[in-house]
Amino acid sequence: MKLQTDMQVHRINDYLWEIPPSEKPGMLVPARIYASAAILTAMDRGVFDQVTNVACLPGIHRHALCMPDGHWGYGFPIGGVAAFDPEDGVISPGGVGYDINCGMRLIRTDLSLSEVQPKLELLMTELFRRVPAGVGSRGFVNLTRRDFRDVMQQGAAWCIAKGYGWDEDLERIEERGRLQGADPSHVTDYAVERGINQLGTLGSGNHYLEVQVLSDKGLFDRTVAAAMGLTGRDQILIMVHCGSRGFGHQVASDYLKVFEKAMRRYGIAVKDQQLACAPFRSPEGQDYFAAMNCAANTAFANRQVITHQIREAFTAVFGESAHALGMHLVYDVAHNIAKVERYPDGEWLVHRKGATRAFGPGSPELPDCYRAIGQPVICGGSMETGSYLLVGTDRAMQETFGSTMHGSGRTMSRAQAKRTVRGDQLLRDMKQRGILVKAVSMSGLAEEAGFAYKNISDVVDSVDRAGITKKVAELKPIGNIKG
Amino acid sequence: MPGTFRFLDDIALADMAFDAEGDSLSALFDAATEALLESLADPTSVAQTWRHAIDMEEPDIPTLLFEWLGRLVYLKDAHGVVFHRVSLSLEQRPKQSSWHLHADVIGAPVNPATQELRSDVKGVTKHLYAVTQDGTTWKARVVLDV
Repeated sequence: MKLQTDMQVHRINDYLWEIPPSEKPGMLVPARIYASAAILTAMDRGVFDQVTNVACLPGIHRHALCMPDGHWGYGFPIGGVAAFDPEDGVISPGGVGYDINCGMRLIRTDLSLSEVQPKLELLMTELFRRVPAGVGSRGFVNLTRRDFRDVMQQGAAWCIAKGYGWDEDLERIEERGRLQGADPSHVTDYAVERGINQLGTLGSGNHYLEVQVLSDKGLFDRTVAAAMGLTGRDQILIMVHCGSRGFGHQVASDYLKVFEKAMRRYGIAVKDQQLACAPFRSPEGQDYFAAMNCAANTAFANRQVITHQIREAFTAVFGESAHALGMHLVYDVAHNIAKVERYPDGEWLVHRKGATRAFGPGSPELPDCYRAIGQPVICGGSMETGSYLLVGTDRAMQETFGSTMHGSGRTMSRAQAKRTVRGDQLLRDMKQRGILVKAVSMSGLAEEAGFAYKNISDVVDSVDRAGITKKVAELKPIGNIKG
Repeated sequence: MPGTFRFLDDIALADMAFDAEGDSLSALFDAATEALLESLADPTSVAQTWRHAIDMEEPDIPTLLFEWLGRLVYLKDAHGVVFHRVSLSLEQRPKQSSWHLHADVIGAPVNPATQELRSDVKGVTKHLYAVTQDGTTWKARVVLDV
């Protein structure tokens, strides 16, 4: 097996691989990668370099981890997970990502494909009109600075209080859509000015809103699926992928500069400038954590406002209330975040960067409706191939700090994808295959072509067979909105 | 001579990267600025209805270029605009041990109906970021997070 690294990579089992600390000076713990042999072989060199860089960070606990959708990222690899001792470990924006609390949301309906298909064009037009996407897009919610401070602190709960959602939504959002410790006084004016007009917008890049169908064939675990309100029978669902937009990015950029200086003060050396960090308990570490929580709450609010707009669009097209259409939230989960979480062996500051929380059955953090089955995990694939719903396991709690994959992972550059296909051609091809796309940018659409990504089914099979999450359902796209 | 830029394929798979160069610092800044403008939207499709003047001062050229490009991204989000062109000038201020940039930014509010919009760049990263001088040629490598 020829890997894109010169480091020794030992097989733990068919879906878990380990790089020992002897492979790089400064490694404090082993690095572990969850992947099939085929996926591991295809992984870029950056994954091996970066996951071992993470293993060198002060206070890291047990292992530096990478999931099978891993690829090169800034600082941490995408798919990276690492836990740090909150007392003497570090916090790093490079372990969270620029798009703080980028995440996934899934909404179910009682509608079937046969009911939606005749109105799909109208539905996608209505969704495209109500959920702004693309460069410089602005949301419909006009916020004062005071309002935006409340959004930063209250997250999705602010939206519910303003009528942009249902009370029941909150229990189906990670941390009920509100991280504690958000303090707007640690957010710069630049960040506020970038974010204040973006609530309820998708952004661009790999962010999307997708109308999906769940056939009987796509059901892997009917019992667990039923607990999540998934029935099969060509059921229609809506998936949303987006985060904190320019606001979160500005928070990350602002604190990378702070941390570059702080590292000198605290005598911390890192292998990569993008791994800039500070002790979690230091003033700089706490300030970043407070600002990061503001961005995370804003992302929860962003997805909540988008949910409201989706419900409004369905109501307008199908002439029934969202309640009557059964448009309940299945779950909302972050995949770019750092949080203090409690495990049997202690309390750890867990960084997930392109990785999803996947708490197993019985976890007290889960709402009553999911405590018996485990946490829903939403993994988005490319707009051409489909997505998956999985569920967290006990094994994830034991091995991965309750974490798993988040998507399929790119394999082709944006520039190469654009040279391979034109956006308008892709639009027509997808329409012929039954997927209606509304896109702001044709070049942006071409960049997101399915062939630019790993096969998500292979990635999902890796985490399923590794036992850190179990497959529940495969969802196929019929409509997609891109920035 | 005007500066030049080219987008890079093999760096930052999920994002965008470019190399810019020029035979003067001004030419380098012009080229890097043009690369960022092209990343956001086709500048020829953007009208000239919005103007904004910027003055910035930083201790060194790499920091000034990094912060300047970041400022353009900020303007895009905070003002909801994309750009047609930028006129900029650089001045070394030895007394302050700093470099000063003045820029006149011209563009228009985002309008998907009339503009060819491209990627919603979220920021400039430090990954592989470098500004170097090779003889009389100034070069920069920039990775943009999209």
